[in-house]
Amino acid sequence: MTLELHATPEEVMRAVEALQEFGQVRQVPDKQLFGLALALEECASNIVNHAYQRDARQTFRVTLEHTGSAVVIELRDRGQEFDPTQAPVPEKEADGEDRPAGGWGIQLVRRYMDEIRYAREAGENVLRLTKRLG
Amino acid sequence: MPLEILILKTVGDRNLGDVTVKLTGSLDTATAPELERQLSPVLASQIKHLVFDLAQLKFISSAGLRVFSMARKQLKERGGQASFVNMQPQIQEVFEIMKSLPGVAIFKNMAELDAYLAARQRSHEENQ
Repeated sequence: MTLELHATPEEVMRAVEALQEFGQVRQVPDKQLFGLALALEECASNIVNHAYQRDARQTFRVTLEHTGSAVVIELRDRGQEFDPTQAPVPEKEADGEDRPAGGWGIQLVRRYMDEIRYAREAGENVLRLTKRLG
Repeated sequence: MPLEILILKTVGDRNLGDVTVKLTGSLDTATAPELERQLSPVLASQIKHLVFDLAQLKFISSAGLRVFSMARKQLKERGGQASFVNMQPQIQEVFEIMKSLPGVAIFKNMAELDAYLAARQRSHEENQ
């Protein structure tokens, strides 16, 4: 299933709801589906807020695939080249409360997904998130 | 999934001025700004303790965690705290992951919360 989405937070959540329905129909366990929804929310939000700077005229694509043993989410945007897999892990600090929170999302994605692959293909950022089932 | 926000002021006990915020639904990139907007006057008042009741919260992302972090920071600056209660398991797990990350100090003090709530319960019973 492929969705064409505008760069707004509401569209991000439309994709998340589509994923939840997609998973429920295919009997993906709730626990895995929660992690997938969270990963999609974080990565799509990154596209909206960073790649496209909230320019609602811009669009990106989300493709959902159930392979039987895994769920794969692919996100494609035409924004500036950005590889979230290269985002630095937060450094240890006595009090991290003033740290900009932008990096938390990718940390959560790393914890919930089994594989995160980035590629730059024909002017597009292509991010593939894989969650193995069972 | 939308987010319902219910802000309750606790009155009539020794912790006058405490506020409970009940969240129902999804705290995400689309709904977090509304929570931030509604919390703004609450945080501008002189309350010290803010309790987030998450019993009906089904989903949270870093956009929501950022609002919690902001609230906690503002309360801490005046010697207060934000507390998080009744988390569903999937929400608890997100908090646990955040706690485990180096450089993230926000959610490390949930034990404080239990102590605070226990003390509050005791003071309530003494008043009976």
